[in-house]
Amino acid sequence: MLDREICKERAENLKNVRFVIGVAAGKGGVGKSTVAVNLARACMRQGLRVGILDADIYGPSLRQMLPEETPPAKHPSLPERIVPAVGCGIKMISMAYFCESHAATAVRAPFANGVIAQFLQKVDWDELDILFIDFPPGTGDIQLTLAQESRINGMVIVTTPQEVALLDVRKAIHMCHQMAVPILGVLENMSYWQDPATGQKLHLLGQGGGRILSAETGIPLLGEIPMEPALSQSADRGEDIFSTAPECLAAEVLMQASRKIGHHLTGLEQMEGQYLKNFELIWK
Amino acid sequence: MSATTFDPLKLLISRIYQKDAHVFAIEWADGRIYDYRLSDLQKNCPCARCRDEKTGRPLALPSSIDSGLQAVRIYNLGRYALRIEFTNGCSRGVYTFAMLREWGKLG
Repeated sequence: MLDREICKERAENLKNVRFVIGVAAGKGGVGKSTVAVNLARACMRQGLRVGILDADIYGPSLRQMLPEETPPAKHPSLPERIVPAVGCGIKMISMAYFCESHAATAVRAPFANGVIAQFLQKVDWDELDILFIDFPPGTGDIQLTLAQESRINGMVIVTTPQEVALLDVRKAIHMCHQMAVPILGVLENMSYWQDPATGQKLHLLGQGGGRILSAETGIPLLGEIPMEPALSQSADRGEDIFSTAPECLAAEVLMQASRKIGHHLTGLEQMEGQYLKNFELIWK
Repeated sequence: MSATTFDPLKLLISRIYQKDAHVFAIEWADGRIYDYRLSDLQKNCPCARCRDEKTGRPLALPSSIDSGLQAVRIYNLGRYALRIEFTNGCSRGVYTFAMLREWGKLG
């Protein structure tokens, strides 16, 4: 129980966000952003209030996958605050709003960290059920800032099936352990391609990476997302796969994964409810 | 690395409070309460300024740390560590909960 006489809750920008979920891999190119956007869309369809923070300063892709109806803006009455962009009812912030789409964000780590800190502290998310943080690849400075500055309730680890991908993904899992961030599950992307004519599954990138990770760490496997044109097309066109191709297997796996994550988070919330979250002790 | 043996919920904090001018206490999720003297924590500060880059050993002699050292503020870093702003100006150490649990057990 928080004892207000001796220790107080820290003022925190994300205090009205019920759950903060990281989507990480350690590795680039496994489909973290695709997964984050589609988990957000799936949660939205379940009636939840959702936001996405695109923490990939060097290669933001959120804007393409989830085009905004209203861009981010200065807060009308609080000049230091940022009102996030909104697309399909999902609140979003990304470096992509602040640079040309073809331009490289060639900045050093302190600047990148400053941007992330602003996204966490200055964006007016208001009340959300879930804020997804789309982690950049790697296990370095920005990941540390995200883990220190936002109290992440749980992490979704994305991998592809091949052993080479697992090398980096294991590091991301180890980082979560070091930061005491609970891992909600592993989601394997690009698991196989299913021949529509014969129904045969072809494992083009190898087989079973997600299952191997799950077996060696005890982290639940949330699903295996097949390679489907509908998924990549929806991302390229900024469309909602749950509207355009709800019957495709990728959409089904992502929807099921979002439900499993929601279930896991509710359990965590019950266990964690009585403990301190963001606190400070001012010495007397 | 095994998630079956890793349980971040064991490292949750129920209470943190100042006991006197130099000591604070943490009550952990399992009900255990350990005391922490600020000068002891400063002697073991893990920050880059307090540790030798190559050996990892503390740079300052333990005897040079004022036993009456106090703090300005103590706060959490994410869900895994404390940061302590000491009155001597040191404030960059990341005291992980795992580290504090172990030190607490040692008394």
